[in-house]
Amino acid sequence: MFSPSVENLVAQLTRLPGVGTRTAQRLAFHLLRVPSEEAAALAAAIGEVKERVRFCRECGNLTEQEVCEICRDARRDHAVVCVVEQPVDLISVERTHEYRGLYHVLGGALSPLDGVEPSHLRIDELFRRVEQNGVEEVVLATNPNMTGEATAAYLADRLRGRVRVTRLASGLPVGGDLEYADEVTLGRALAGRREM
Amino acid sequence: MAGRSYKTEAVVLRSFRLGEADRVLHLYTLERGRVGAVAKGIRRTKSRFGARLEPLSHVAMMLHQGSGELQTVTGVDLLHSHRAAREDSYRLGAGLVGLEAMLRLYSEQEANSRAFLALTRFLELLDELPSRAPARPALDPLALSFQLKLLWLSGYLPHMASCADCGAAGPLAGYSPKAGGAVCTACSAGAIPLSPQGVAGIGELLRRPLAEASDAALGDRASREALSVIVTSYEYHGGFRLRTLSAG
Repeated sequence: MFSPSVENLVAQLTRLPGVGTRTAQRLAFHLLRVPSEEAAALAAAIGEVKERVRFCRECGNLTEQEVCEICRDARRDHAVVCVVEQPVDLISVERTHEYRGLYHVLGGALSPLDGVEPSHLRIDELFRRVEQNGVEEVVLATNPNMTGEATAAYLADRLRGRVRVTRLASGLPVGGDLEYADEVTLGRALAGRREM
Repeated sequence: MAGRSYKTEAVVLRSFRLGEADRVLHLYTLERGRVGAVAKGIRRTKSRFGARLEPLSHVAMMLHQGSGELQTVTGVDLLHSHRAAREDSYRLGAGLVGLEAMLRLYSEQEANSRAFLALTRFLELLDELPSRAPARPALDPLALSFQLKLLWLSGYLPHMASCADCGAAGPLAGYSPKAGGAVCTACSAGAIPLSPQGVAGIGELLRRPLAEASDAALGDRASREALSVIVTSYEYHGGFRLRTLSAG
């Protein structure tokens, strides 16, 4: 229906997460309409990010240098490490402005049904950091779903006794109404209630 | 063509991410057996479905059957969350073995109320399963008993009373999936070896209800032999291996 190059662009855009054929066509026609420099800037940005961005040697976060900005920051608390599944989770924790420690990105969560085992994640690197870098607390911030909980339990079992291990609390979203809470979340909020 | 909605009990066997905030669920339902469904938006923190649709959850749900292969979840009530099973690594390990066995043995959209009942009973017992760590959860009597019963319900009940090949009363010395059960010394060429304790233990696990699986008092060797019988049956009859059985 379209020229081969437009067809190719649509096919490439369809491979992006959350982009279907119609959205890909809309994006392709938008790119055809914009000035050449704008389209070239987008292509250059994609090329640059693929060329320059890598994983931090220490924590596994995305960086353009050997060690990421967070790991290099001397003002942060290097005795506390927050363990997350993906770099995007690190950004969510950073947005809270409540945490001033370091991070460790696992690159996923344990899932025996999918064949994801400890050796597929950056778990040995975490143990090495705990052993060698004077870490006093590990905050487990994996997702509150089955694979995330299983990963947290696995790590806690192996770190207990060597370092303080904590887990993000589970409970009700701020600003919500109790009547709309699901029973599992509300149950966990009750189980983890605190004295006032 | 407009689809239609129906209500059914279901157990969530597995889920994986789809798109921005959705999940694809593999369900085992009372009404239709194995069903695939999309739960839209459940990865968002404001979703009321998310916590109810974790693997191991036993739910009553409303599903919409459209024209596509995957159905859509439109409502969920939690019957049993099985949180206790999910939050203990030993119980979870045994539970995942059971879920994967269901996934591989029951892949068709075909109701089997006995398999559904066995699954829900397995999950109830899992909540109170005492940990035998550092032993492998795959060797737990409950996990072994559940899988033997699933093989039974699938038509692959291992014959353990006499030699499945020649009919001799004994002594039984091995298991041959080709013969369909235990075999005597004379017929044991190519069979996996079984000790007298292994033969007796597998027989006990088959005879006893799931709730009494631990009363079968299997020793370590008998447990490993029961697992070998199960693994060999999967490979011979279904042509598959369970990933959860090969994990630590």
